[in-house]
Amino acid sequence: MNDENEHIDKLMHELRRGTITIGALSQLYEPQYGYSLVTRLKEKGIQVEPGTLYPLLRRLEKQGLLESKWDTNETRPRKYYLLSDTGKDALDLLRVEWQSIVTSMQNVLKESGDENGDD
Amino acid sequence: MEMIERYVYAVTKRLPEAQRQDVADELRGLIEDMLNERVQGRDITEEDVEEVLLELGNPRNLARQYRDTKKYVIGPELYDLYILVLKIALISVVTVSTAVFIIQIILNPINTLDYFINYIVSFITTTIPIVFGWTTLAFALAEYFGEDNLKKLNIDKEKLNLDKEWKPENLAPIPDPKRQIKRSEPIIGIIFYVLIIMILAFSNDYFGIWIFQDGEFSTVVPFLNEETYGSFLILILIVFGFGIVKECLKFRYEKWTYTLVIFTAIVNLISIAMIMFMITGAQFWNPNFMNELIQYGFVTEASQSYESIRLIWEQLTLWTLILLIFGLLLDIAIGWFKVRKAK
Repeated sequence: MNDENEHIDKLMHELRRGTITIGALSQLYEPQYGYSLVTRLKEKGIQVEPGTLYPLLRRLEKQGLLESKWDTNETRPRKYYLLSDTGKDALDLLRVEWQSIVTSMQNVLKESGDENGDD
Repeated sequence: MEMIERYVYAVTKRLPEAQRQDVADELRGLIEDMLNERVQGRDITEEDVEEVLLELGNPRNLARQYRDTKKYVIGPELYDLYILVLKIALISVVTVSTAVFIIQIILNPINTLDYFINYIVSFITTTIPIVFGWTTLAFALAEYFGEDNLKKLNIDKEKLNLDKEWKPENLAPIPDPKRQIKRSEPIIGIIFYVLIIMILAFSNDYFGIWIFQDGEFSTVVPFLNEETYGSFLILILIVFGFGIVKECLKFRYEKWTYTLVIFTAIVNLISIAMIMFMITGAQFWNPNFMNELIQYGFVTEASQSYESIRLIWEQLTLWTLILLIFGLLLDIAIGWFKVRKAK
Protein backbone atom coordinates (compact mmCIF):
# COMPACT_ATOMS: atom_id res chain seq x y z
CA MET A 1 0.00 0.00 0.00
CA ASN A 2 2.79 2.30 0.97
CA ASP A 3 4.58 1.43 -2.22
CA GLU A 4 1.50 2.16 -4.22
CA ASN A 5 1.19 5.61 -2.68
CA GLU A 6 4.78 6.29 -3.51
CA HIS A 7 4.22 5.38 -7.14
CA ILE A 8 1.13 7.51 -7.32
CA ASP A 9 3.03 10.43 -5.81
CA LYS A 10 5.70 10.06 -8.42
CA LEU A 11 3.22 9.82 -11.27
CA MET A 12 1.29 12.82 -10.02
CA HIS A 13 4.50 14.77 -9.72
CA GLU A 14 5.36 14.03 -13.34
CA LEU A 15 1.85 14.81 -14.48
CA ARG A 16 1.81 18.17 -12.72
CA ARG A 17 5.21 19.18 -13.88
CA GLY A 18 4.08 19.12 -17.48
CA THR A 19 0.90 21.03 -16.84
CA ILE A 20 2.32 23.79 -14.67
CA THR A 21 4.11 25.37 -17.61
CA ILE A 22 0.89 25.70 -19.61
CA GLY A 23 -0.96 26.84 -16.51
CA ALA A 24 1.56 29.55 -15.79
CA LEU A 25 1.68 30.76 -19.39
CA SER A 26 -2.10 30.96 -19.54
CA GLN A 27 -2.18 33.49 -16.68
CA LEU A 28 0.38 35.85 -18.13
CA TYR A 29 -1.57 37.88 -20.68
CA GLU A 30 -1.50 40.44 -17.88
CA PRO A 31 1.83 41.11 -16.16
CA GLN A 32 2.20 39.19 -12.91
CA TYR A 33 4.99 38.89 -10.42
CA GLY A 34 5.95 35.50 -9.12
CA TYR A 35 4.00 35.37 -5.92
CA SER A 36 0.83 36.88 -7.35
CA LEU A 37 0.96 34.12 -9.94
CA VAL A 38 1.33 31.50 -7.20
CA THR A 39 -1.79 32.79 -5.43
CA ARG A 40 -3.68 33.19 -8.65
CA LEU A 41 -2.98 29.62 -9.72
CA LYS A 42 -3.86 28.40 -6.24
CA GLU A 43 -7.23 30.14 -6.43
CA LYS A 44 -7.87 28.25 -9.62
CA GLY A 45 -6.97 24.97 -8.00
CA ILE A 46 -3.42 24.60 -9.30
CA GLN A 47 -0.97 24.05 -6.46
CA VAL A 48 2.55 25.11 -7.25
CA GLU A 49 5.50 25.73 -4.97
CA PRO A 50 7.20 29.09 -5.37
CA GLY A 51 10.47 27.18 -5.42
CA THR A 52 9.27 25.50 -8.62
CA LEU A 53 7.50 28.40 -10.22
CA TYR A 54 10.16 31.08 -9.84
CA PRO A 55 12.88 29.11 -11.61
CA LEU A 56 10.32 28.05 -14.21
CA LEU A 57 9.42 31.66 -15.01
CA ARG A 58 13.06 32.42 -15.44
CA ARG A 59 13.52 29.53 -17.81
CA LEU A 60 10.51 30.50 -19.86
CA GLU A 61 11.92 34.00 -20.10
CA LYS A 62 15.22 32.61 -21.28
CA GLN A 63 13.40 30.59 -23.91
CA GLY A 64 11.76 33.77 -25.12
CA LEU A 65 8.18 32.84 -24.19
CA LEU A 66 8.01 35.49 -21.48
CA GLU A 67 9.24 39.02 -21.07
CA SER A 68 10.06 40.57 -17.76
CA LYS A 69 10.33 43.97 -16.25
CA TRP A 70 11.28 45.24 -12.82
CA ASP A 71 8.73 47.54 -11.24
CA THR A 72 10.44 49.76 -8.71
CA ASN A 73 7.55 52.14 -8.01
CA GLU A 74 5.96 50.06 -5.28
CA THR A 75 7.21 49.69 -1.70
CA ARG A 76 9.40 46.83 -2.78
CA PRO A 77 10.77 46.14 -6.27
CA ARG A 78 9.07 43.29 -8.09
CA LYS A 79 9.84 41.45 -11.25
CA TYR A 80 6.80 41.23 -13.52
CA TYR A 81 6.45 38.60 -16.18
CA LEU A 82 4.35 38.88 -19.32
CA LEU A 83 3.76 36.72 -22.38
CA SER A 84 5.92 37.69 -25.32
CA ASP A 85 4.57 37.51 -28.86
CA THR A 86 6.27 34.15 -29.30
CA GLY A 87 4.77 33.09 -26.00
CA LYS A 88 1.27 34.02 -27.15
CA ASP A 89 1.67 32.04 -30.35
CA ALA A 90 3.07 29.09 -28.44
CA LEU A 91 0.22 29.22 -25.96
CA ASP A 92 -2.36 29.18 -28.76
CA LEU A 93 -0.78 26.05 -30.13
CA LEU A 94 -0.48 24.49 -26.70
CA ARG A 95 -4.13 25.16 -26.03
CA VAL A 96 -5.16 23.18 -29.12
CA GLU A 97 -2.77 20.37 -28.24
CA TRP A 98 -4.05 20.30 -24.71
CA GLN A 99 -7.66 20.07 -25.86
CA SER A 100 -6.88 17.11 -28.04
CA ILE A 101 -5.02 15.39 -25.20
CA VAL A 102 -8.01 15.95 -22.90
CA THR A 103 -10.44 14.59 -25.48
CA SER A 104 -8.46 11.49 -26.25
CA MET A 105 -7.66 10.80 -22.63
CA GLN A 106 -11.30 11.09 -21.73
CA ASN A 107 -12.19 8.63 -24.45
CA VAL A 108 -9.53 6.22 -23.37
CA LEU A 109 -10.46 6.40 -19.71
CA LYS A 110 -14.17 6.11 -20.38
CA GLU A 111 -13.68 3.05 -22.55
CA SER A 112 -11.57 1.21 -20.06
CA GLY A 113 -13.96 2.18 -17.28
CA ASP A 114 -17.01 0.82 -19.16
CA GLU A 115 -15.49 -2.41 -20.32
CA ASN A 116 -13.44 -2.90 -17.23
CA GLY A 117 -10.36 -3.65 -19.27
CA ASP A 118 -11.95 -6.43 -21.37
CA ASP A 119 -10.52 -5.66 -24.72
CA MET B 1 15.92 39.45 9.13
CA GLU B 2 19.48 38.32 9.15
CA MET B 3 18.22 34.85 8.38
CA ILE B 4 16.57 35.94 5.14
CA GLU B 5 19.82 37.39 3.89
CA ARG B 6 21.62 34.21 4.82
CA TYR B 7 19.06 32.17 2.92
CA VAL B 8 19.26 34.37 -0.16
CA TYR B 9 23.03 34.18 -0.02
CA ALA B 10 22.94 30.41 0.37
CA VAL B 11 20.90 30.16 -2.82
CA THR B 12 22.64 32.74 -4.96
CA LYS B 13 26.18 31.71 -4.16
CA ARG B 14 25.41 28.52 -6.06
CA LEU B 15 24.31 30.38 -9.18
CA PRO B 16 26.31 31.88 -12.03
CA GLU B 17 27.56 35.37 -11.24
CA ALA B 18 25.40 37.01 -13.89
CA GLN B 19 22.12 35.78 -12.40
CA ARG B 20 22.90 36.39 -8.76
CA GLN B 21 21.72 39.95 -8.26
CA ASP B 22 18.49 39.44 -10.11
CA VAL B 23 17.61 36.18 -8.39
CA ALA B 24 18.51 37.68 -5.01
CA ASP B 25 16.16 40.64 -5.50
CA GLU B 26 13.37 38.41 -6.68
CA LEU B 27 13.87 35.97 -3.86
CA ARG B 28 13.82 38.72 -1.23
CA GLY B 29 10.56 39.97 -2.70
CA LEU B 30 9.12 36.46 -2.64
CA ILE B 31 10.05 35.89 0.99
CA GLU B 32 8.51 39.20 2.02
CA ASP B 33 5.35 38.40 0.09
CA MET B 34 5.12 35.04 1.77
CA LEU B 35 5.70 36.62 5.16
CA ASN B 36 3.04 39.26 4.61
CA GLU B 37 0.52 36.67 3.63
CA ARG B 38 1.33 34.64 6.69
CA VAL B 39 1.12 37.42 9.31
CA GLN B 40 -1.82 39.34 7.83
CA GLY B 41 -0.77 42.67 9.27
CA ARG B 42 0.67 41.65 12.65
CA ASP B 43 4.38 41.97 13.37
CA ILE B 44 6.72 39.49 11.80
CA THR B 45 8.53 37.21 14.24
CA GLU B 46 11.61 35.09 13.81
CA GLU B 47 9.38 32.04 13.84
CA ASP B 48 7.41 33.28 10.85
CA VAL B 49 10.63 33.75 8.96
CA GLU B 50 11.76 30.27 9.86
CA GLU B 51 8.53 28.70 8.72
CA VAL B 52 8.58 30.55 5.41
CA LEU B 53 12.15 29.50 4.77
CA LEU B 54 11.25 25.94 5.65
CA GLU B 55 8.47 26.11 3.13
CA LEU B 56 10.91 27.24 0.46
CA GLY B 57 13.10 24.31 1.38
CA ASN B 58 16.78 23.58 1.29
CA PRO B 59 18.59 26.42 -0.50
CA ARG B 60 20.66 23.88 -2.34
CA ASN B 61 17.58 22.39 -3.97
CA LEU B 62 16.22 25.78 -4.85
CA ALA B 63 19.52 26.75 -6.41
CA ARG B 64 19.48 23.55 -8.40
CA GLN B 65 16.06 24.40 -9.78
CA TYR B 66 17.38 27.76 -10.86
CA ARG B 67 20.43 26.27 -12.45
CA ASP B 68 18.33 23.78 -14.33
CA THR B 69 21.23 21.45 -14.76
CA LYS B 70 20.93 17.73 -14.80
CA LYS B 71 20.72 16.03 -11.48
CA TYR B 72 22.90 13.13 -12.39
CA VAL B 73 26.56 12.38 -12.65
CA ILE B 74 26.18 9.96 -15.53
CA GLY B 75 23.24 10.53 -17.77
CA PRO B 76 21.03 8.12 -19.67
CA GLU B 77 23.10 8.48 -22.85
CA LEU B 78 26.20 7.12 -21.17
CA TYR B 79 24.63 4.87 -18.57
CA ASP B 80 24.55 1.62 -20.57
CA LEU B 81 28.13 1.99 -21.66
CA TYR B 82 29.12 2.87 -18.10
CA ILE B 83 27.58 -0.30 -16.70
CA LEU B 84 29.18 -2.36 -19.44
CA VAL B 85 32.66 -0.96 -18.86
CA LEU B 86 32.22 -1.37 -15.14
CA LYS B 87 31.28 -5.03 -15.57
CA ILE B 88 34.24 -5.71 -17.80
CA ALA B 89 36.62 -3.93 -15.46
CA LEU B 90 35.27 -5.75 -12.41
CA ILE B 91 35.43 -9.15 -14.06
CA SER B 92 39.02 -8.50 -15.17
CA VAL B 93 40.11 -7.31 -11.78
CA VAL B 94 38.44 -10.16 -9.94
CA THR B 95 40.07 -12.66 -12.28
CA VAL B 96 43.51 -11.13 -11.86
CA SER B 97 43.25 -10.91 -8.08
CA THR B 98 42.04 -14.47 -7.90
CA ALA B 99 44.90 -15.61 -10.11
CA VAL B 100 47.39 -13.80 -7.90
CA PHE B 101 45.75 -15.32 -4.84
CA ILE B 102 46.01 -18.83 -6.28
CA ILE B 103 49.65 -18.29 -7.21
CA GLN B 104 50.33 -17.12 -3.69
CA ILE B 105 48.75 -20.23 -2.18
CA ILE B 106 50.69 -22.50 -4.48
CA LEU B 107 53.93 -20.76 -3.60
CA ASN B 108 53.30 -20.61 0.09
CA PRO B 109 50.51 -22.88 1.27
CA ILE B 110 51.24 -22.29 4.94
CA ASN B 111 50.02 -18.72 4.73
CA THR B 112 46.77 -19.53 2.96
CA LEU B 113 44.61 -17.99 5.63
CA ASP B 114 46.61 -14.77 5.61
CA TYR B 115 46.41 -14.57 1.86
CA PHE B 116 42.72 -15.28 1.93
CA ILE B 117 42.02 -12.53 4.44
CA ASN B 118 44.26 -10.22 2.48
CA TYR B 119 42.42 -11.17 -0.71
CA ILE B 120 39.01 -10.39 0.75
CA VAL B 121 40.08 -7.23 2.56
CA SER B 122 41.88 -5.79 -0.45
CA PHE B 123 38.75 -6.37 -2.50
CA ILE B 124 36.63 -4.31 -0.21
CA THR B 125 39.10 -1.62 0.70
CA THR B 126 41.12 -1.19 -2.47
CA THR B 127 40.26 -3.10 -5.59
CA ILE B 128 36.56 -2.46 -5.91
CA PRO B 129 36.69 1.18 -4.79
CA ILE B 130 39.48 1.83 -7.28
CA VAL B 131 37.64 0.24 -10.18
CA PHE B 132 34.38 1.93 -9.30
CA GLY B 133 36.08 5.20 -8.57
CA TRP B 134 38.10 5.52 -11.74
CA THR B 135 35.41 4.22 -14.05
CA THR B 136 32.85 6.53 -12.53
CA LEU B 137 35.21 9.47 -12.56
CA ALA B 138 36.04 8.94 -16.20
CA PHE B 139 32.39 8.74 -17.15
CA ALA B 140 31.44 11.67 -14.96
CA LEU B 141 34.07 13.77 -16.73
CA ALA B 142 32.81 12.57 -20.08
CA GLU B 143 29.31 13.51 -19.02
CA TYR B 144 30.39 16.91 -17.75
CA PHE B 145 32.60 17.96 -20.63
CA GLY B 146 30.75 16.04 -23.29
CA GLU B 147 27.48 17.67 -22.28
CA ASP B 148 27.24 20.07 -25.16
CA ASN B 149 28.36 17.57 -27.75
CA LEU B 150 25.93 14.99 -26.55
CA LYS B 151 23.14 17.50 -26.49
CA LYS B 152 23.96 18.47 -30.02
CA LEU B 153 24.06 14.82 -30.94
CA ASN B 154 20.68 14.32 -29.38
CA ILE B 155 19.22 17.30 -31.12
CA ASP B 156 20.61 15.96 -34.36
CA LYS B 157 19.05 12.62 -33.59
CA GLU B 158 15.74 14.23 -32.84
CA LYS B 159 15.99 16.19 -36.03
CA LEU B 160 16.68 12.99 -37.88
CA ASN B 161 13.72 11.35 -36.25
CA LEU B 162 11.41 14.22 -36.96
CA ASP B 163 12.87 14.84 -40.34
CA LYS B 164 10.25 14.72 -43.05
CA GLU B 165 12.97 13.57 -45.41
CA TRP B 166 13.18 10.33 -43.53
CA LYS B 167 11.88 7.30 -45.38
CA PRO B 168 11.42 3.73 -44.22
CA GLU B 169 13.98 2.64 -46.78
CA ASN B 170 16.60 4.45 -44.73
CA LEU B 171 16.29 1.77 -42.10
CA ALA B 172 19.51 -0.14 -41.64
CA PRO B 173 19.25 -3.80 -42.59
CA ILE B 174 19.18 -6.42 -39.87
CA PRO B 175 22.77 -7.64 -39.59
CA ASP B 176 23.46 -10.85 -41.47
CA PRO B 177 24.12 -13.58 -38.90
CA LYS B 178 27.15 -14.64 -40.89
CA ARG B 179 28.76 -11.25 -40.40
CA GLN B 180 27.56 -10.77 -36.91
CA ILE B 181 29.99 -10.53 -34.03
CA LYS B 182 28.61 -12.04 -30.87
CA ARG B 183 28.58 -9.53 -28.05
CA SER B 184 30.53 -11.92 -25.87
CA GLU B 185 33.43 -12.03 -28.33
CA PRO B 186 34.75 -8.49 -27.93
CA ILE B 187 33.99 -8.57 -24.20
CA ILE B 188 36.13 -11.65 -23.77
CA GLY B 189 38.74 -9.97 -25.95
CA ILE B 190 38.81 -6.87 -23.80
CA ILE B 191 39.00 -8.90 -20.59
CA PHE B 192 41.86 -10.87 -22.12
CA TYR B 193 43.79 -7.72 -23.02
CA VAL B 194 43.20 -6.17 -19.61
CA LEU B 195 44.34 -9.37 -17.94
CA ILE B 196 47.55 -9.55 -19.93
CA ILE B 197 48.27 -5.88 -19.32
CA MET B 198 47.76 -6.31 -15.60
CA ILE B 199 49.82 -9.48 -15.45
CA LEU B 200 52.66 -7.86 -17.36
CA ALA B 201 52.43 -4.58 -15.52
CA PHE B 202 52.13 -5.80 -11.97
CA SER B 203 53.23 -9.39 -11.85
CA ASN B 204 56.47 -9.49 -13.75
CA ASP B 205 57.93 -10.84 -10.54
CA TYR B 206 55.99 -14.03 -11.16
CA PHE B 207 56.37 -14.21 -14.92
CA GLY B 208 59.08 -16.80 -15.27
CA ILE B 209 60.25 -20.18 -14.06
CA TRP B 210 59.49 -20.76 -10.42
CA ILE B 211 62.30 -22.22 -8.44
CA PHE B 212 61.43 -24.38 -5.45
CA GLN B 213 64.11 -25.34 -3.00
CA ASP B 214 63.41 -28.02 -0.37
CA GLY B 215 59.76 -27.94 -1.27
CA GLU B 216 59.52 -24.21 -0.66
CA PHE B 217 59.30 -21.45 -3.16
CA SER B 218 62.49 -19.47 -3.24
CA THR B 219 62.65 -17.30 -6.35
CA VAL B 220 61.63 -16.71 -9.95
CA VAL B 221 63.90 -16.74 -12.93
CA PRO B 222 62.15 -14.11 -15.06
CA PHE B 223 61.59 -14.60 -18.77
CA LEU B 224 61.96 -10.93 -19.48
CA ASN B 225 64.91 -8.60 -19.08
CA GLU B 226 64.20 -6.72 -15.89
CA GLU B 227 66.44 -3.77 -16.73
CA THR B 228 64.86 -2.85 -20.03
CA TYR B 229 61.45 -4.13 -19.08
CA GLY B 230 60.16 -0.72 -18.01
CA SER B 231 60.61 0.88 -21.40
CA PHE B 232 59.14 -2.11 -23.21
CA LEU B 233 56.14 -1.98 -20.96
CA ILE B 234 55.07 1.31 -22.56
CA LEU B 235 55.22 -0.28 -26.01
CA ILE B 236 53.29 -3.27 -24.75
CA LEU B 237 50.65 -1.01 -23.29
CA ILE B 238 50.31 0.82 -26.60
CA VAL B 239 49.94 -2.45 -28.53
CA PHE B 240 47.30 -3.80 -26.17
CA GLY B 241 45.64 -0.43 -25.95
CA PHE B 242 45.12 -0.59 -29.71
CA GLY B 243 43.79 -4.08 -29.21
CA ILE B 244 41.21 -2.82 -26.74
CA VAL B 245 40.14 -0.06 -29.12
CA LYS B 246 39.71 -2.69 -31.82
CA GLU B 247 37.55 -4.85 -29.56
CA CYS B 248 35.48 -1.81 -28.63
CA LEU B 249 34.85 -1.14 -32.31
CA LYS B 250 33.78 -4.73 -32.83
CA PHE B 251 31.40 -4.26 -29.96
CA ARG B 252 30.13 -1.03 -31.41
CA TYR B 253 29.50 -2.27 -34.95
CA GLU B 254 28.27 -5.71 -33.92
CA LYS B 255 29.14 -7.04 -37.34
CA TRP B 256 32.09 -7.27 -39.65
CA THR B 257 32.23 -4.43 -42.13
CA TYR B 258 34.92 -3.44 -44.57
CA THR B 259 35.76 -0.46 -42.39
CA LEU B 260 36.18 -2.70 -39.41
CA VAL B 261 38.32 -5.17 -41.33
CA ILE B 262 40.52 -2.36 -42.58
CA PHE B 263 40.85 -0.92 -39.11
CA THR B 264 41.61 -4.35 -37.66
CA ALA B 265 44.20 -4.87 -40.36
CA ILE B 266 45.89 -1.55 -39.60
CA VAL B 267 45.89 -2.11 -35.85
CA ASN B 268 47.11 -5.67 -36.16
CA LEU B 269 49.86 -4.78 -38.62
CA ILE B 270 51.08 -2.02 -36.33
CA SER B 271 50.98 -4.47 -33.45
CA ILE B 272 52.93 -7.03 -35.46
CA ALA B 273 55.56 -4.44 -36.33
CA MET B 274 55.91 -3.40 -32.70
CA ILE B 275 56.04 -6.97 -31.45
CA MET B 276 58.73 -7.81 -34.01
CA PHE B 277 60.70 -4.80 -32.96
CA MET B 278 60.46 -5.79 -29.32
CA ILE B 279 60.94 -9.51 -29.47
CA THR B 280 63.71 -9.64 -32.01
CA GLY B 281 65.72 -7.08 -30.09
CA ALA B 282 67.99 -9.08 -27.81
CA GLN B 283 67.22 -6.85 -24.86
CA PHE B 284 63.65 -7.96 -24.47
CA TRP B 285 64.36 -11.37 -22.98
CA ASN B 286 66.28 -12.04 -19.83
CA PRO B 287 69.86 -12.39 -21.15
CA ASN B 288 70.98 -14.39 -18.12
CA PHE B 289 68.07 -16.80 -18.22
CA MET B 290 70.11 -19.94 -18.70
CA ASN B 291 72.81 -18.88 -16.29
CA GLU B 292 70.31 -18.14 -13.59
CA LEU B 293 68.66 -21.50 -14.04
CA ILE B 294 72.01 -23.15 -13.43
CA GLN B 295 72.73 -20.86 -10.55
CA TYR B 296 69.57 -21.92 -8.76
CA GLY B 297 70.22 -25.54 -9.45
CA PHE B 298 67.25 -25.97 -11.74
CA VAL B 299 69.47 -27.71 -14.29
CA THR B 300 73.10 -28.67 -14.37
CA GLU B 301 75.28 -27.36 -17.11
CA ALA B 302 75.88 -29.57 -20.12
CA SER B 303 73.29 -32.13 -19.05
CA GLN B 304 70.72 -33.33 -21.49
CA SER B 305 67.88 -31.34 -19.94
CA TYR B 306 70.08 -28.24 -20.06
CA GLU B 307 70.45 -28.70 -23.78
CA SER B 308 66.77 -29.16 -24.36
CA ILE B 309 65.85 -26.17 -22.20
CA ARG B 310 68.42 -24.08 -24.01
CA LEU B 311 66.94 -25.16 -27.29
CA ILE B 312 63.41 -24.35 -26.12
CA TRP B 313 64.56 -21.02 -24.79
CA GLU B 314 66.22 -20.09 -28.05
CA GLN B 315 63.24 -21.20 -30.08
CA LEU B 316 60.92 -19.27 -27.78
CA THR B 317 61.69 -15.99 -29.47
CA LEU B 318 60.85 -17.36 -32.83
CA TRP B 319 57.72 -19.18 -31.77
CA THR B 320 56.24 -16.35 -29.75
CA LEU B 321 56.67 -14.19 -32.76
CA ILE B 322 55.12 -16.73 -35.10
CA LEU B 323 52.19 -17.40 -32.79
CA LEU B 324 51.40 -13.75 -32.22
CA ILE B 325 51.65 -12.90 -35.89
CA PHE B 326 49.56 -15.91 -36.79
CA GLY B 327 46.87 -14.87 -34.29
CA LEU B 328 46.75 -11.31 -35.52
CA LEU B 329 46.66 -12.36 -39.17
CA LEU B 330 43.94 -14.87 -38.40
CA ASP B 331 41.90 -12.09 -36.85
CA ILE B 332 42.11 -10.10 -40.08
CA ALA B 333 41.41 -13.17 -42.18
CA ILE B 334 38.29 -14.12 -40.22
CA GLY B 335 36.91 -10.62 -40.55
CA TRP B 336 37.66 -10.50 -44.25
CA PHE B 337 36.18 -13.92 -44.81
CA LYS B 338 32.98 -13.09 -42.92
CA VAL B 339 32.42 -9.88 -44.83
CA ARG B 340 32.96 -11.67 -48.13
CA LYS B 341 30.78 -14.63 -47.29
CA ALA B 342 27.84 -12.43 -46.41
CA LYS B 343 27.89 -10.55 -49.71
